[in-house]
Amino acid sequence: MTKTILAALGASLLLTLPASPAEATGKMRCDVAEADRQPLEKLTAKLAAEGWQVRKGKVDGGCYEVYATDPEGRRVEAYFDPQTFEKLLVSQRGKELFRAAGR
Amino acid sequence: MTERGEKLLGWTLLALPGAWLALTLARTPEPWLADWIAASGLWSARFLILALALTPLQRLFGNRRAIRLLLRHRRAIGVAAFCYTAAHVALYVVDMADWGAILGEAVIPSMLAGWGAMLAMLFPFLASSDAAMRLLGKGWKRVQRLAYPATLLTLVHWLLVHDGAGEALLHFLPLGLLQLARLHLHLTTTKKAIAT
Repeated sequence: MTKTILAALGASLLLTLPASPAEATGKMRCDVAEADRQPLEKLTAKLAAEGWQVRKGKVDGGCYEVYATDPEGRRVEAYFDPQTFEKLLVSQRGKELFRAAGR
Repeated sequence: MTERGEKLLGWTLLALPGAWLALTLARTPEPWLADWIAASGLWSARFLILALALTPLQRLFGNRRAIRLLLRHRRAIGVAAFCYTAAHVALYVVDMADWGAILGEAVIPSMLAGWGAMLAMLFPFLASSDAAMRLLGKGWKRVQRLAYPATLLTLVHWLLVHDGAGEALLHFLPLGLLQLARLHLHLTTTKKAIAT
């Protein structure tokens, strides 16, 4: 009995080991066809011009997601529409700083 | 196995994830530190959970060999949990590279919970040596009980800071159920004792 429980506990822990961050997190969704996306580099250049320091950018849930320091010096995670570059969501360590109306 | 050998094996096992993390970090040319920060925090939580699961397991299933073995090394498991937390915090500080920014975001609920968890683990860690155990006498257990608030704060930190609650609950739910079962057992046996 004990062995079974310990084995189950161990197995449940091991299951979570290869938690890959590449999958969609579900924090934001963008329904934009890949062909309609503007290049990510263009977004990071635009943000840099606005005073952001972008550390990493990728696609999450069809949106562009960037890890950056915002113009106020906060370490944030931000989502943008890949077609219009509209700012959709900005959060800092899990605290929501901005959410576009209706998103 | 001798006591010394058992201890050495225990420490080796506890250090293994850390060694793996250090190795992969050293071998990655431009590491995205957030991944290693997450992994070190994950292992800290795992060892904390394991340390706190042992007493309920013993109450529920009796003095089994595996549980006795783990209980003998519970102090080491707890120390390991703190060491992974220390690595977690050190990596975070390196990644932020700015004390002002660190202080600035420390008041966000997720971070407040994280720092609180670290503090709550620091005291049991500092009091973990044989000498501290002798010195504190009966108070030693009380200091070690800080592991409970540390675990709760770790869960809050994880739930608030991370992507989604699934993984956090997968880790903490078994411990929560074990503690509930222990409480239930405690209450029913006390009632029986009063009745007789």
